[in-house]
Amino acid sequence: ADWKYAFEESLTEVQGVYATKFKEAVEANSDHTIQLFPYGTLGESADIMEQAQAGILQFVDQSPGFTGALIPEAQVFFVPYLLPTDQEHLARFYKESKAINEDFSELYAEQGLELLVMFPEGEVAMTTKEPVKSCADLNEVKFRVMTNPLLVESYKAFGATPTPLPWGEVYGGLQTNIIQGQENPTFFLYSTGIYEVTDHITYTGHNNFTTAVMANKDFYDSLSDADKKVIEDAAASAYDYIVEYQKGLAESELKKIKEAKPEMTVTVLSEEERACFKEAAAEVEAKFIEMTGESGKAILEQLKADLEATKG
Amino acid sequence: MALTIFLIMIVLLLLGFPMMIPLLVASFVGFLFMFGDIGKMDFMVQQIMAGIRPASLIAVPMFILAADIMTRGQSANRLIDMVMKFMGHVKGGLAVSTAAACTLFGAVSGSTQATVVAVGSPLRPRMLKAGYKDSFVLALIINASDIAFLIPPSIGMIIYGVISSTSISELFIAGIGPGLLLLVLFSAYSMVYAFINKVPTEPKASWAERGQAVRRAVWPLGFPVIIVGGIYGGIFSPTEAAAACVLYAVILEFIVFRSLNIPDIYRIAKSTGLITAVVFILIGAGAAFSWVISFAQVPQAILAAVGVADMGPKGVLAVISIAFFIGCMFVDPIVVILILVPIFAPVVKSVGLDPVLVGTIITLQVAIGSATPPFGCDIFTAIAIFKRPYIEVIRGIFPFTVMLLCVSVALIYFPQIALFLRDLAFR
Amino acid sequence: MDDLKENNPHDSSLPGFLGVIDSTISRVESVLLAAGVLLMALNTVANVVGRFVFQYSLFFSEELNRILIILITFAGISYAARQGRHIRMSAIYDALPPPARKGFMVLIAGVTAVVMFALCYFSIGYITKVATSGRVLPSLQLPVYWIFLWVPVGFFMTGLQYTLTAVKNLTGKDIYLSTRVLEGYDKDELEV
Ligand code: NA
Ligand code: NA
Repeated sequence: ADWKYAFEESLTEVQGVYATKFKEAVEANSDHTIQLFPYGTLGESADIMEQAQAGILQFVDQSPGFTGALIPEAQVFFVPYLLPTDQEHLARFYKESKAINEDFSELYAEQGLELLVMFPEGEVAMTTKEPVKSCADLNEVKFRVMTNPLLVESYKAFGATPTPLPWGEVYGGLQTNIIQGQENPTFFLYSTGIYEVTDHITYTGHNNFTTAVMANKDFYDSLSDADKKVIEDAAASAYDYIVEYQKGLAESELKKIKEAKPEMTVTVLSEEERACFKEAAAEVEAKFIEMTGESGKAILEQLKADLEATKG
Repeated sequence: MALTIFLIMIVLLLLGFPMMIPLLVASFVGFLFMFGDIGKMDFMVQQIMAGIRPASLIAVPMFILAADIMTRGQSANRLIDMVMKFMGHVKGGLAVSTAAACTLFGAVSGSTQATVVAVGSPLRPRMLKAGYKDSFVLALIINASDIAFLIPPSIGMIIYGVISSTSISELFIAGIGPGLLLLVLFSAYSMVYAFINKVPTEPKASWAERGQAVRRAVWPLGFPVIIVGGIYGGIFSPTEAAAACVLYAVILEFIVFRSLNIPDIYRIAKSTGLITAVVFILIGAGAAFSWVISFAQVPQAILAAVGVADMGPKGVLAVISIAFFIGCMFVDPIVVILILVPIFAPVVKSVGLDPVLVGTIITLQVAIGSATPPFGCDIFTAIAIFKRPYIEVIRGIFPFTVMLLCVSVALIYFPQIALFLRDLAFR
Repeated sequence: MDDLKENNPHDSSLPGFLGVIDSTISRVESVLLAAGVLLMALNTVANVVGRFVFQYSLFFSEELNRILIILITFAGISYAARQGRHIRMSAIYDALPPPARKGFMVLIAGVTAVVMFALCYFSIGYITKVATSGRVLPSLQLPVYWIFLWVPVGFFMTGLQYTLTAVKNLTGKDIYLSTRVLEGYDKDELEV
């Protein structure tokens, strides 16, 4: 059959690379074909999610940050310093985590979705107009965040003035100084040209961008066991590929940024410099539990246990 | 399927149905073809909602409101009087000033529809009074507003830059050359038009008269200050600048000039809402239609049939120009960029074209498309605002389309028009 | 603005009680339109003031504008149908003789009404989907389907206006663009 798969980024960005690998694997091992729909071609994140839930699309990639409006617990991935920055640890964690593969699987199933895989898209970096060495440097900085309550809470706790802005206005907003900072994974800073309108990149290690690939549940359940295996294997091989692909991705994209704009400063905060951000994280964690109650708390605990268990 | 729905659309359009109907019925039929029943048609509604969702669209009703307040009060007239005292004695002076005002306003506001409203509503009555034909006036306003796509900030270029991973700063600089070239061409045409049609000029004003006109326009000159200063000074986004203009217009007309009263603002707001609705439902219907086209992978099929992969760089550029030109005839420009750019990206790369040049050409086509019949958001806006029949609004557009197409061809053969400034700044 | 006084935009062509309902709906729509636009301006200005004066962005500003734009669009399409203001390309139509124009107008109004009623039905379906998914607006934390509630009403009222236009063309002797507008563009721009 001909299946359709939509995602939130362009074909050459991480979600697009994953989707391409997934498509190749499925098409190599079965008679099925997959058509890919990059960002915007069928609508925005919430639109393609609804289309996947209705079975118009068979596969969809949506980051838990956006899923928060549907599944509040998914916002757990915005709790700062929950996830480690060590890529190898992360790679093991997403694969083996009980919270993801059992608890979240169930939550997605309630929404008519079969969770196939969650994978990391890289450490989130802040880009700003002025250097950032501590929370104090974020004081009075209008920092663009996605319209997500927990993210707003995080930057409030970091001392910035969180400013929710649609992505389309971020570049112009930075250029005209309406905002003075924003956060995203390194590859995104390069591919979207955001580096052109900011002067400092800072790694505080507060988060790793996570994304999730799902199938429509009715569609998935109706498949033969052989087809299910094709999909599972494709998801797993694309996962291995994307983990490998991302090794050094941040470095290579950072190099491209430095070539295009040599005056860009890149700072990785030391443990001491991170102290105030880490303190702020506790507030955000409390806010998360307040918002999601017992079930959120349980998932948070399970995630922490899983992270401990997958430490190298 | 593609042929059927295009035919349905053209036929319904020509028969005089409200314009949302051809787009909606074509989408209905597309859904029927793809899913076999009406079970999935809820998603037409989803896409209509998606079409009117972008936050940047809010600038449109805001500028309509501000312009309406200015026009019915005194601000607009005082500004135009001032311009006329300086330009009135030149053949075609008013038309050239209109073209320049559209370019400047459009450049800053980033919205061509807002420009049609904000510059067009005060200047059109003035041009009619001066003896220009309405078809020329409407075409000039619509086309000069579209220069805004090319001069930064440009939403179209930002979106192109993001999905094609091209430097947005370079795109911005590359757009300036072709944008100014268009302004020069439009101005020249305006002067020729005024000369041939013997549009009368005003007697040359004395410096004392000019001084007085400037004094009368001091308060209204705050509008360009708010828009240009506010946006480039980092105080407002274009949408917010529009809202700030509303506030300033209210203060001027109600408190300073005392030319309007409270019932007036109610009526103006209502009329703004009506125009907004008439245009936005078309944007929504266009989004539903483009979803169908995108889902059915119609552009890919057409491109494969054309054999674009085997063409040289100039051939690819020509195909890109034509594809965007046709696409924007029917669908919102931003949506066309989102759908077509990823399809063309591999070809552009394989023939080694400069993505900045491609982006500039695409932006130009998008500008042409929004001002070219049968569909075009700026045509819709002009019809809704000026309450003129469709046929009259598009009657004078042809010469402008020819000038725009000349610039597109020139860009393909002389890319330096776009790249000169870019190379100066970045290479 | 003078013709406004002699020609009340809310006058209904319907007889008796139906006419009262019709003109009440027209009034409600026009209040929604005006209030929607003014609130949008207020909301946007307030956000700028908040950001600059108080260093505080209104988190719900964008979502509120989204709600308002839906309200304006869907109150507006029905009001525009009533006023005969929807954009159409009438070149061929205008060239036809009056009896053919009349027939065409009945067809156009009839088909448009059917499409609007169909969209009303589909929008109810869509709202049900969004409601059962439990999706909420990230900042306001309101259920997303709330912001769509006016959509089916707008489609339904628009369909009704076109139905009435078809009926009016069938029963009256003139050709009507809408229930209260005769065809043809006025020389002077008419006030709505
Ligand atoms: Na512009
Ligand atoms: Na067009």
